[in-house]
Amino acid sequence: MSVVAGKRILVVEDEALIAAMVEDMLKDLGAVVVGPASTIEKGLALAGSEAIDVALLDVNVRDQRIDPVADVLRGRGIPMLFATGYGSNIFADKRTCSWIDKPYTQETLASALAKVLRPTG
Amino acid sequence: MQQQTAVRADGEALVHQVDELTALYRLTNHLYRARSLHDIHDAALEAILGTLGCSRASLLLFDEAGVMQFVGWRGLSDSYRAAVKGHSPWNPKTVDPDPIFIGDIDLADEPEWLKARIKAEGIRALAFIPLIVQGALIGKFMTYYDRSHAFAPHEIDLAVTIARQIGFALERAGAEQARRAAEAELRESEERFRLMSENAPVMIWMSHPDGSCLHLNRMLRAFWKVEEEQLATFDWQRTLHPEDAPEIARLMTEAIAAQANVRLKGRYLNAEGRYRVLETNAQPRFSPKGEYLGMIGVNVDITEREQTERELRDSEERFRLAVEAAPSGMIMADAEGRIVMVNAQAAKLFGYGRGELVGQPVDLLVPPRYQQGHPQHRANYHRYPAARPMGDGRELFARRKDGTEMPVEISLSSMKTAKGIMTLAAVVDIGSRKRADAQRELLLAELNHRVKNTLAVVQGIARQTFRASNASSEARKAFEGRLFALSVAHSLLTRSNWEDASLEQLATDTLKVGIPNQARVALSGPPVVLPPKEAVAIVLALHELCTNAVKYGALSNDTGRIDLGWSRSDDEHPRLKLVWREHGGPLVSPPEHRGFGSFLLERTLAQDLDGSVTAEFRPEGLVCSIDAPLPNQSGSPR
Repeated sequence: MSVVAGKRILVVEDEALIAAMVEDMLKDLGAVVVGPASTIEKGLALAGSEAIDVALLDVNVRDQRIDPVADVLRGRGIPMLFATGYGSNIFADKRTCSWIDKPYTQETLASALAKVLRPTG
Repeated sequence: MQQQTAVRADGEALVHQVDELTALYRLTNHLYRARSLHDIHDAALEAILGTLGCSRASLLLFDEAGVMQFVGWRGLSDSYRAAVKGHSPWNPKTVDPDPIFIGDIDLADEPEWLKARIKAEGIRALAFIPLIVQGALIGKFMTYYDRSHAFAPHEIDLAVTIARQIGFALERAGAEQARRAAEAELRESEERFRLMSENAPVMIWMSHPDGSCLHLNRMLRAFWKVEEEQLATFDWQRTLHPEDAPEIARLMTEAIAAQANVRLKGRYLNAEGRYRVLETNAQPRFSPKGEYLGMIGVNVDITEREQTERELRDSEERFRLAVEAAPSGMIMADAEGRIVMVNAQAAKLFGYGRGELVGQPVDLLVPPRYQQGHPQHRANYHRYPAARPMGDGRELFARRKDGTEMPVEISLSSMKTAKGIMTLAAVVDIGSRKRADAQRELLLAELNHRVKNTLAVVQGIARQTFRASNASSEARKAFEGRLFALSVAHSLLTRSNWEDASLEQLATDTLKVGIPNQARVALSGPPVVLPPKEAVAIVLALHELCTNAVKYGALSNDTGRIDLGWSRSDDEHPRLKLVWREHGGPLVSPPEHRGFGSFLLERTLAQDLDGSVTAEFRPEGLVCSIDAPLPNQSGSPR
């Protein structure tokens, strides 16, 4: 059984078709999707209020950086996985940020989330 | 009576004294007018006879051998003179002798033969008066009396006075003679000088006091082709270049007026009608008495030297212009790190006036935090002063006058100059380039992001489509695999700004997408880079081969392996030959229907690569060969 199964996962993704696919993939993996949020504001609202195990965040949401949402989640000690087409160069600190290159397969997503949930593993 | 006698005696004495004074005056007058030694002798003898009351007299001088010789006489026979010749109470070394007066020869303390000879000449009394010039005895004069004679004191004083006058006259005559001799010698030495200078290998001349031509040596006459007879009328100034003439004339006139040394440089027309540059060093000539005689000078033809110097100046000027025109800031510094030259761009770049930088240490342009290490860097460069970029790959910063910094690129080169080894630094402000680079990277990242996002969107659409059409998950995975292979090619191309991508890197990343265990695939081949279109085509082809191998081929069992090898031909039209060879897998038979994979391989790939693709389904495994042209410029290893 996947580590992801049963976990509450916040998804912030502005592209509706991608969001739908991610939701589909996560449901396949047995996870519970929080969101998906399509704007920073909606993401912030969920990040501040919902029970969340891990967050899958698009780095660029409608041309705005995801940073405010990430700050809230970091404040709550919630692990995060960033999805990006930019490559790793956009992260100020590559070592502490986990990221996944778009596009990704369901399998890649599953193993990346598993790593974030068990950082020591 | 007695008184009358006394008065008469006084009167006689007075008359006698007037006679003596008259004779002395005449002597002085004659001596003063005397033009020759002979005149002096005559005047002297006349004065002696007229004043000292003697009937005969003679004048004798030491000759060069120190022997007293008669130079003038009155009333002496030749035989007498011959008999007493050389007989003298004094020699030239006698110091300040007293006159000798012999009142009666019979009473004199002289050899008998001499007394006899004197008496035989009819002489009874005689006196020896020494002639002294500048403290040295030069001779004597003699007075002779027919009868014995009592020498009165005033007679003695008068004789000594006359001797002084004669000595003085002889001294003057001697000096005059010496002067004439010296003049003769000078004429002779000038003549010798002319002879010497005549054949000297430099141009030598002498001028009259007014600067007109007195003498030109052979070389200088040949220069102007002027004959010796023409010298008196030759005007050297007319050969001067019109541009140089006023200055030369001015300097020469000044030198003559001041009787001073002068150095001139000018162009003179030679006999061949060419202007030659002559450098002249001239100085005034003086006679032994200090009289200004004119100028003497040496001319040296420095035309070639001038030419060389001018060429050097021209080349320096060209260098300066080149530096000035350079688009970069150019700074030249000496071995001590002092700025010796900057171009306008450098001054502008650093915000200084040009004058402010020359003479300053180059460290002035280095940000304070790097200044400490800079002298060491300079020393290192001077040890190996090859042309190279400064900083050995480090980012460099320079400081403007206002203290702000700018990122720069600096190329160093060194050059040997007359003033030592100079370092030339070309400084380029790369601030704007860096900003442009950053901007371009940002845009590329953005483009990559958008492409990747689009691929993700396509993936999302496909997922929905596959789901709605109840297609197998296998079909979905096959599609996603192809999508990810495309994504791999895009990622790699983005890294190189969409210029090209390494074949090995493309293969490695593609295998990661399609093959669980990449260790079973062996890659071998030289570095080859592919342009974007070819890179995408190869990646898609390799992905199909991988998928096929995993499903049916060498990777569908536990033992099969794949060799992926490539080579490039190194001729004018290089070609890529790539072979995918499977072995150790299950026995292979040709597939019954051609799927998208085969289509992609044989149609799309062949077309995109402008080459040929063949797939052989050999029993031991699939062998796929690709042969395609490579662009020339992309063949270099990266």
